[in-house]
Amino acid sequence: MTFDLALTGSDLLLLLPEILLTLWLCLMVCLDFSMRKITHQNLAYLGIGGVLATLVVLIWFDLTGITGTLFKNMFVLDRLAIFFKIFILLATALVMCSSIDSVRTFRFFKGEYYFLVLMSTLGMMFMASAGDLLSVFVTVEFSTFGFYVLVAYLRDDLRSSEAGLKFFILGVFAAGLLAYGISLVYGETGTLIFSDIAGTSGSYGMTIGFLLIFAALGFKIGAVPFHSWIPDTYQGAPTPVTAFLSIAPKGAAIAILIRMFYVALASFKPMWVLLFIAGSILSMTYGNIVAIAQKNIKRLLAYSGIAQIGNVLIGLAAGTKQGSDAILFYLLTYLFANLGAFAVVIGVSHIIKSDEIEDYSGLNRRSPFLAASMLLFLLSLAGVPPLAGFIGKLYLFVAAIDQELYTLLIFGLINIIISMYYYLIVVKKMYINEPLDPSPLTVSIPLKTVVYVGIAGTLLLGIYPKPFIDWAVSATLMFSNIAGPTAAAGSIFGG
Amino acid sequence: MSEYALLIILFAPFLGAVALIFVPRREALLTRLVAATSSGICLLASLYIFFAYDIERGGFQFVQRFPWSEELGIAFYLGVDGIGGPLVLASAILLFAGVFVSWHIQDRTKEFYIFLLILAAATIGVFMSLDLFFLYFFYEMSVLPMYLLLGIWGSHTKGYLSMTDPEGRRLRDSVGFIFNFGSNSKEYAAMKLTLFLSAGAVVALMGILLIYHFSGLHTFDILVLREQAHFSGTLATIIWLLIFFGFASIAPIWPLHSWSPVGHAAAPAATSMLHAGVLMKLGHFSIIRVGYEILPETTRDLIPIAAILCVFSIIYGGLVSYFAKDTKYVIGYSSSSHMGYIFLGMAALDYISLTGAVIYMFAHALATGMLFAMAGWVYDQTHTRDIPSLGGLVERMPFLAGAFIVACMASIGMPGTVNFIAEVMIIVGSWQKYPFQVIVAVLGIVLTMAYLFRMMRGLFYGRLVPEYAHVQDTHAFVDRMPLLLMIFCSISLGIFPGHFYEVVRSTVVPMLDRINQVAPLLTQTSTSFLP
Repeated sequence: MTFDLALTGSDLLLLLPEILLTLWLCLMVCLDFSMRKITHQNLAYLGIGGVLATLVVLIWFDLTGITGTLFKNMFVLDRLAIFFKIFILLATALVMCSSIDSVRTFRFFKGEYYFLVLMSTLGMMFMASAGDLLSVFVTVEFSTFGFYVLVAYLRDDLRSSEAGLKFFILGVFAAGLLAYGISLVYGETGTLIFSDIAGTSGSYGMTIGFLLIFAALGFKIGAVPFHSWIPDTYQGAPTPVTAFLSIAPKGAAIAILIRMFYVALASFKPMWVLLFIAGSILSMTYGNIVAIAQKNIKRLLAYSGIAQIGNVLIGLAAGTKQGSDAILFYLLTYLFANLGAFAVVIGVSHIIKSDEIEDYSGLNRRSPFLAASMLLFLLSLAGVPPLAGFIGKLYLFVAAIDQELYTLLIFGLINIIISMYYYLIVVKKMYINEPLDPSPLTVSIPLKTVVYVGIAGTLLLGIYPKPFIDWAVSATLMFSNIAGPTAAAGSIFGG
Repeated sequence: MSEYALLIILFAPFLGAVALIFVPRREALLTRLVAATSSGICLLASLYIFFAYDIERGGFQFVQRFPWSEELGIAFYLGVDGIGGPLVLASAILLFAGVFVSWHIQDRTKEFYIFLLILAAATIGVFMSLDLFFLYFFYEMSVLPMYLLLGIWGSHTKGYLSMTDPEGRRLRDSVGFIFNFGSNSKEYAAMKLTLFLSAGAVVALMGILLIYHFSGLHTFDILVLREQAHFSGTLATIIWLLIFFGFASIAPIWPLHSWSPVGHAAAPAATSMLHAGVLMKLGHFSIIRVGYEILPETTRDLIPIAAILCVFSIIYGGLVSYFAKDTKYVIGYSSSSHMGYIFLGMAALDYISLTGAVIYMFAHALATGMLFAMAGWVYDQTHTRDIPSLGGLVERMPFLAGAFIVACMASIGMPGTVNFIAEVMIIVGSWQKYPFQVIVAVLGIVLTMAYLFRMMRGLFYGRLVPEYAHVQDTHAFVDRMPLLLMIFCSISLGIFPGHFYEVVRSTVVPMLDRINQVAPLLTQTSTSFLP
């Protein structure tokens, strides 16, 4: 494989967001080391500024329809990639904003924290653009690298170190699976580029290869049975890192999954549909049932995240354009609700120094604002109208019923009820129980901003989702001709 | 004004709730006034649509349609017919009354009124939705505020009902792992109610999704589906059963009723009023709106199920009421018993009985609203709902005792109240098809008389318990007004039912024509399903 590296100006334009962010990253790290006086808050605002500038560039791309590919399809910038890049940057900006309080309590390396966050973001932006298996491997490892450090950031905290170690060992294991899977696929097909793989005929080696790749990506999104690292890592990591980990890498990995299965493996749809049906049912049911028994809010959100990924997989199981639209929209709803919920957790734990659900007792009396926003976020995660999560779930269900996936649909509906129970338990603690310590809680301005953005997104996507649905629909226009509503797998499995 | 009436009705409470968010916590009076104003606007606009409904034209009126998502085939589509209109009015009356009934709530007043307004607005939304998506949207939205209203401002039941749990809160439910709050606590009641109703809702959602998929029309529009969608065979049966049992769980029909009395007993007065008054009618209404409109043939074949189950509802609810010792349990079970009458009226598929059923929904809302409001007042004053330990309150509460007699009369169906008209129409209309059920229903009325009089005697007559010598009657205008409003509506519509009857009839007749005129699918439609 040879590359033509004579990049023209228009080629470089496609890389502009990444280049911009890289330069910004270098600037930040230089400032952090050279200027003693710069505070970590200012560094955070600087980083958020860089993210927002990149966001503006991407929105401009989206509006003017600038798309293209580079390096023989290794780097793809289409509407789908732009969507996911905006998604990741939005998550990054919110996470950085909600980190400011927590970073203040770090003893070491306050400035490097933002550098590492931005570096992971950069990696995930490349993930969203990965157009062949080699760049999948490189970008996945690139983005995970920052997270290995971030998860273990509280150096003197035993839980954080444990979380980091667990995450690292399993992460490296997943990387091994990924590399092995890629090598098998390459051995069978002789190509690594998604659009070229689409033309090849199936074989056992290729099946095993893609199963391994799926397992590695399943690790990233935390789908059952690749979820075992999630609860401990989420609990041990600093809460802003948990928030980041719970949304951005999942989005980026879903982008790769969509691209891989919709482009490279479109002709094997009846096979992988079964894979996703099984993964979805297992993730939803396991995540929701185990979440009931949780006493720690971060663990609860971890298991609820596993269940939410099960919901996302419904869209992949549908395997249609409507399915991918629904995934994109659902991820947006999840972004606001999930980051909002984590922002509340950060705000509460910052003052009461605890993440136990028991300590949320009487939150409504201590801080009506935090309690009300947590209520909205949890109900959105549960899928209660008029909040965003309801529209997202309904969209996924509509996509599933168009493929006549009744079993999946029934499990999805039952899981709504199960999940409602444990979300309501938290609501009960916040609203019905009386506080042990009635002193009021105050929230810092940056955190308040994140919560307000979360509320705005949750309500807006629930009440007026049309522009966002249209955006998701236009982002996946390239899948318009993927197999129509009569999938063979549906009738096998759904009866 | 005319074309925006529905938007005003729907959004007045919503905007009231939004406005309340910005009212400072200290300003309790301002909070109440905002709630009262928004519910007052809602009530006035509902009265307008009730009287301005064009009987000659019939069908859906005051229609508003805004596209919401072409991608999914959803439109924000509002309109009321002769069934939705009166129920919107009933919700508005109960909301307005409920705001005043809860005038004395001190704890977190602001949140209380926010949730109450959202609950009522969502209920009203269901009654005027002409889009299946929004019907479900508002339906599910009405369930969640109940959880908080019950959980925060509710009260424990302390094992008054000896047959459920003599040990009170310490004993656990049979599924103790899940409901580990003790089965007489308000938390238990709230959780049970929410999960039950949500479970019913997702069953109905499955039915709605099947309608959406198999109609092939790619729309949730009820009017389009009514005209163009055709379902037959097993598919139609499955959809109908999902819709019926999904929505009937909120109605609540007999084997699915257990959440309801527990919920009533735990809820604060205004919530019980809205809950028993209109929330339960969401079930009947949605069955009519979805089942009767979209699946008329299947409805005719399968509705005898309702006729069978309603017998159990009537008898079971009545008997439990007779033996219950908690005022709210009595009223709660009497509500679930009275819901059986509505199912009977619906099942007969006769235009007199169906009209009677719709009028009964309205009438029952008023009667039960009054009873719950007064039970709430008595509870606030005496801090007990235990009938045997109360007595002689008429000496302290002459006004309330008088109003209570009127409410009991209305609930029994005395001539002069609108309940009488409804009951007579249900009984007359169903006699042809279901004579056995009619006999049961008449016995049910006798039973109603028995337990309501028993409760009335226990509360107000006999010797005044010295412990309660200090209790107060409703003196202030804000306390009497809601009762007087409901009594006025009940009696005035009972004496002049003409317009009401015509409004309902204008919708019921064409609907039944659609159901009855089409050729039978099964050879045997079960006119004699039961002897």
